[in-house]
Amino acid sequence: MTLTAEGPIRPNRPRTRPLTYAVAASLVAGTTWAAVKVGFDPSTFWKVWSNPLWEKFWPVPWDWVFDGRNVIRPLIETFQIAIVSTVIGCGLALPISFAMSSLTTPNRPTYLVSRAVMNVVRAVPDLFWAKLLVTAIGIGAFAGSWALSVFSLAVMVKLFSETVDGADPRPLEAARSAGGRHAPVVRTGVLPSVFPAYVAYALYVFELNIRASIVLGLVGAGGIGRVIEAQRQFFRFDRVLGILMIIFVAVWVIEHVSVALRKRLT
Amino acid sequence: MTAPTTTDYAATRPLPPGKVRTRRSVIALVIVVATVWSVSGLQVTLDRLLGAPGDAWAILRQMTPPAFSEVYERGALGKILESVYIAWIGTIIGAALSLPLAFLAAHNVAPHWVRVPIRQLFNAIRAVPELILAVIFIPITGLGAWAGTMAIGIHSIGTLGKWAAESIESIDDGPIEAVEACGGRWASEMRWAVLPQVMPNIASYWLFRFEINVRASAVLGMIGAGGVGSELVLHLSFRNFPAACAVLLMTITVVLTIDTVSAAVRRRIIRGATGTEDEASRSTEALVDLTGLRR
Repeated sequence: MTLTAEGPIRPNRPRTRPLTYAVAASLVAGTTWAAVKVGFDPSTFWKVWSNPLWEKFWPVPWDWVFDGRNVIRPLIETFQIAIVSTVIGCGLALPISFAMSSLTTPNRPTYLVSRAVMNVVRAVPDLFWAKLLVTAIGIGAFAGSWALSVFSLAVMVKLFSETVDGADPRPLEAARSAGGRHAPVVRTGVLPSVFPAYVAYALYVFELNIRASIVLGLVGAGGIGRVIEAQRQFFRFDRVLGILMIIFVAVWVIEHVSVALRKRLT
Repeated sequence: MTAPTTTDYAATRPLPPGKVRTRRSVIALVIVVATVWSVSGLQVTLDRLLGAPGDAWAILRQMTPPAFSEVYERGALGKILESVYIAWIGTIIGAALSLPLAFLAAHNVAPHWVRVPIRQLFNAIRAVPELILAVIFIPITGLGAWAGTMAIGIHSIGTLGKWAAESIESIDDGPIEAVEACGGRWASEMRWAVLPQVMPNIASYWLFRFEINVRASAVLGMIGAGGVGSELVLHLSFRNFPAACAVLLMTITVVLTIDTVSAAVRRRIIRGATGTEDEASRSTEALVDLTGLRR
């Protein structure tokens, strides 16, 4: 290294482009505008602790919480919704994902249509589906399980079709050149290599559904959310807290079982 | 001559077909039984099941044509924008609070006794859905956009912190050593050795979280925490289906636009202007990280 009087030779620092300043300025401006619009108020962070409502959260009425009809039965209903919608959603997702992947699609129109439809379905948040279906087919767990089925179908095809895209195309080619029809070719050429991923995603979607089904009741679609909504309206936050603790434990257990299963799969 | 090697072939040998078949049928049986049990709990009757598609179709027919002008005059566009603002500010709150915590949660830069409680904090936050957080915040902040923003901001800390901590854990240790050798303290190590390596990833995670938050904030309106959800609930409860359809279509358009733009920006951040790396979808990767599902 040549040492000159100015020190070691270093590359010049690249100059910041005007565009960078423009982007940064517009980001700051946009953020400030948005902050004003949502009523940004940092004092909430410390005012939270001095709120008189906190006293209503304690003590938790455990005998009410553990009385089977109040919490446990809606919670079981919640899990039933999650199970049904995972089975329906993931079952339907298998053929649709194959239609949605450029590797295994039967023809171009199917590919384009299924992609477009699924993108739109996924753009609608899960509780919007729930509210729509509650309006259409009535309040209760039935509407909730339809809504979650649609939503888990949308999530599942997104995840799984991307895995199918990345599958090894050679077995597929071999099966095709052996003269197979489309469905058996996909069944023998691609399915075995992507099936473990399918199962892992299905378990993940199940976890998502468990979380989603907890809040479904807030819009009248059955499950434990209905109880939370009712108790919240009566300002019984102690009961809400008790329910939340039960949910927390149940979700924690299910998640750990699911993660352990997925680790064994992959 | 080498001694005959004894390998435990029994452990590496595939299961005999009979056992595989038994295991498969057991798994299938478990799934079938669970499904039947679940369906039995949902008050499903045959006529409800057969009637549902008809009911859904009837609603769909009443939804056309969407009443865009009516909804626009009621200011639905402003409500959708409010949802976007909530998501944006919520993401910024989450990002600002999670970044320092992530450095304290990564196993290669933080000591054990700091790391473990912060990890547990992330897990605990992730376990509570945004809607439940909003239910807790509404009595404190009052109905409105700020309750939703706080709920989204707090919930984002959990996932963003976890993802950021995991990218910090996967960095190259060389630069840290270099800063140490120059006599840098912990803070300078983080600033000059760790941050430059992880910032592109973390920034793209922020954007990905923003996409998720747009959907979440749309939903938050349904319980009165600001945003477009309240409009949808209002129109649906008055059975004004053309208006509900218009709100829905506008929401879908905004969500898809934001997704597309944000995905393009994320690709640009990760790959750079001329990058030729494989185009793995960041959303899938982030989901994979989210669930500890590594392949």
